[in-house]
Amino acid sequence: MEEVSDIVVGIIMLILGGTGLFMASGALDNEIYIFGLSLAGFAAIFEFGLIRAYFDRKDAARHAGGGGHV
Amino acid sequence: MSDVMMDGFVGTHAPARAVVYNDNVVKKFTIATIFWAVVAFLVGVVLALELCWPELNLGFSFTNFGRLRPVHTSGAIFAFGGSALFATSFYIVQRTCRTRLFGGEAMANFIFWGYQFFIVMAALSYVMGYSQGQEYAEPEWHLDLFLTVIWVSYAVVYIGTVLKREEPHIYVSNWFYMAFILTIAVLHLVNNVAMPVSVFSAKSYSAYSGVQNALIQWWYGHNAVGFFLTAAFLGMMYYFIPKQAGRPVYSYRLSVVHFWSLVFMYIWAGPHHLHYTSLPDWAQTLGMVFSIVLWMPSWGGMINGLMTLSGAWDKLRTDPALRFTVTSVGFYGMSTFEGPVMSIRSVNSLSHYTDWTIGHVHSGALGWVAFVSFGALYYLVPNLWKRSGMYSTKLISWHYWVATMGIVLYITSLWVAGIMQGLMWRAYDQFGFLQYSFSESVNAVHPYYVIRMLGGLLFLTGALIMVYNMVMTVYSSTTERREV
Amino acid sequence: MFIRHETIEKNAILMLVLTLITISIGGIVEIIPNFTIETTIEPVKGVRPYSPLELMGRNIYIREGCYLCHSQQIRALKDEVERYGHYSLAAESQYDHPFQWGSKRIGPDLARVGGKYSNDWHYAHLIHPQALVPESLMPRYAFLAETPLETKILDKHLKANRTVGVPYTDEDIANAKKDLEAQANPEADTDFEATLKRYPKAIQVPGKPGEPTELDALVAYLQVLGTMADFSSVTPEQLNR
Repeated sequence: MEEVSDIVVGIIMLILGGTGLFMASGALDNEIYIFGLSLAGFAAIFEFGLIRAYFDRKDAARHAGGGGHV
Repeated sequence: MSDVMMDGFVGTHAPARAVVYNDNVVKKFTIATIFWAVVAFLVGVVLALELCWPELNLGFSFTNFGRLRPVHTSGAIFAFGGSALFATSFYIVQRTCRTRLFGGEAMANFIFWGYQFFIVMAALSYVMGYSQGQEYAEPEWHLDLFLTVIWVSYAVVYIGTVLKREEPHIYVSNWFYMAFILTIAVLHLVNNVAMPVSVFSAKSYSAYSGVQNALIQWWYGHNAVGFFLTAAFLGMMYYFIPKQAGRPVYSYRLSVVHFWSLVFMYIWAGPHHLHYTSLPDWAQTLGMVFSIVLWMPSWGGMINGLMTLSGAWDKLRTDPALRFTVTSVGFYGMSTFEGPVMSIRSVNSLSHYTDWTIGHVHSGALGWVAFVSFGALYYLVPNLWKRSGMYSTKLISWHYWVATMGIVLYITSLWVAGIMQGLMWRAYDQFGFLQYSFSESVNAVHPYYVIRMLGGLLFLTGALIMVYNMVMTVYSSTTERREV
Repeated sequence: MFIRHETIEKNAILMLVLTLITISIGGIVEIIPNFTIETTIEPVKGVRPYSPLELMGRNIYIREGCYLCHSQQIRALKDEVERYGHYSLAAESQYDHPFQWGSKRIGPDLARVGGKYSNDWHYAHLIHPQALVPESLMPRYAFLAETPLETKILDKHLKANRTVGVPYTDEDIANAKKDLEAQANPEADTDFEATLKRYPKAIQVPGKPGEPTELDALVAYLQVLGTMADFSSVTPEQLNR
């Protein structure tokens, strides 16, 4: 479940971030420029968050699995 | 059957196996609710001050009333109300379906951060001067599209959770939340159809014009009240009153009848915002008739909420959080009586365009929406952060009384102001001329605007007391939960 | 009942479908006829699309949230008609995307404000409202006088309006910039007569040559409000729907 969720959300964010960059690049007014860049920034940070959560989960699983050694 | 279903959620049945709920997202939305509450109330007070002393507009484009007002309305409805609905709906749907949130951690986080991103971007766009020019639908087309992505994700997660439930029945709260998610999606998509000047420009022109635009906008606007601020918050009420009172919902049959009739009738009520305008009379009449009939299902909800307390009224003395919830139902009953009265054409001819409407909206928004949310927050915070209880019961009481005083000042001052405006605008002197100029009516309401501002300030103060109490609940050692 | 409620509350999809049907009925019955019944919009002569300068001014009106304090909808009530003029007709806002009828009068109705005050009054009032109306709660809009009007994509604005149903002709779009400059500058040698032919009753505003400001556009918009409809061309029976 978590893996599927990560992938689906990761792809949505990728599309949104790309759209943001595209809109900012051709922006005719401040609003679209700021919105586009913010959307791209938001997407980038969110992707990093997804990656971090993935490794956090792996870590947690490893610790839980090796709990007996402690 | 109904007994099993209703008291299944007051703790009589232990779950067959432990389910790990996703409370992370609930916690985040709870914090967002508290944060946006303070922001929305604060901007409200600033606006009230601007109406008392216009110099306080300061003359900058971004501090002017016209640009800040959508920040207040969107902040209260979508940021504060919306976050409260996300928090409670995710909390309730997991517990009443006895299953973890569908869609995984990433999806839930996407909904949270995406929704917060939408709120911040929308507020920023208002102060920068980008607006569709339609009340409560101010965000421009690009923000509308972004919100659509978030809303669809919300629907998938919510309905997905209901579909994989471990309970045979869908609990009544979830009926209301599902109707809310579905209807808001329909309203949002239909009302916001617009033609952007360019894909690289924020400016767009609505697909509708004039009278059709007006009708669709108020069909949207009134059902934002009906489904966002009423149906969904009734879902909240149907979970937290039984929980806090420790009693099952009063009448199962009543909840069925009032759910379907409320959902059916609300949709028709929009045209009562357009009495005596260029909207065709038949549509105005339909809107009025359904608004009046709507009184019944509204009070069905109120009665069901209040009667759930029968046998547990003594808890009101000891549990101030329950006091919030119960008072909110009282205010709900009052505003849903006032609303139908104001929708009668002859009453509306006086009340429309005046501050009476603003007072009416706030008796619903402060008395019902905010109070039921406060009640839910006082229940949720100790539960989510695993504390033994709230830090201070006394401070909850203080919050309650300060906020109630604030509401009373707010709505009574605007009743007086609104009715006075209405009467002055239509007053004739002995020679048959209009007696007052418009500016005389502006002058006359000034004292009431000051009282209204003070009412808002009290309400904000109450919210700040709540913030302090919540922070102390989470961090103070006195509320640590002792292991049994 | 044909089905027991128990059936519905055990089936989420069924419940959603029934909810969708329930909420659709009211909306369909009220909204669709307003598009199809011909008498919804009265046959009034004179109502035309906004001139380019008025359209830009209207966008500023929307941007600054004027609709939050001013209505543009005179109700068919005696006192309103005496205070503000003939009650509003649906035809008068038929090219308004979006409509700006408003819902609250912190200030007076503006549906027929056009021509009631001079251009000079509007300029002075928007820059400092309390100087002319001491009781006024209106914010100052002096900054509009210092902001040049953005006209780079003027033609795109007209085209977008055409897409949603405003009958701008190719000629209107081709002349948009010229019309805008002519209306914003009485001293220019541009031909305002041609503009007037396209947009009858348009009011010229005294802008700085070659550099119209946002305030110029806003005043041009305010001055046309409610002046377009030709009431001599309609009979009371036609209005009596």
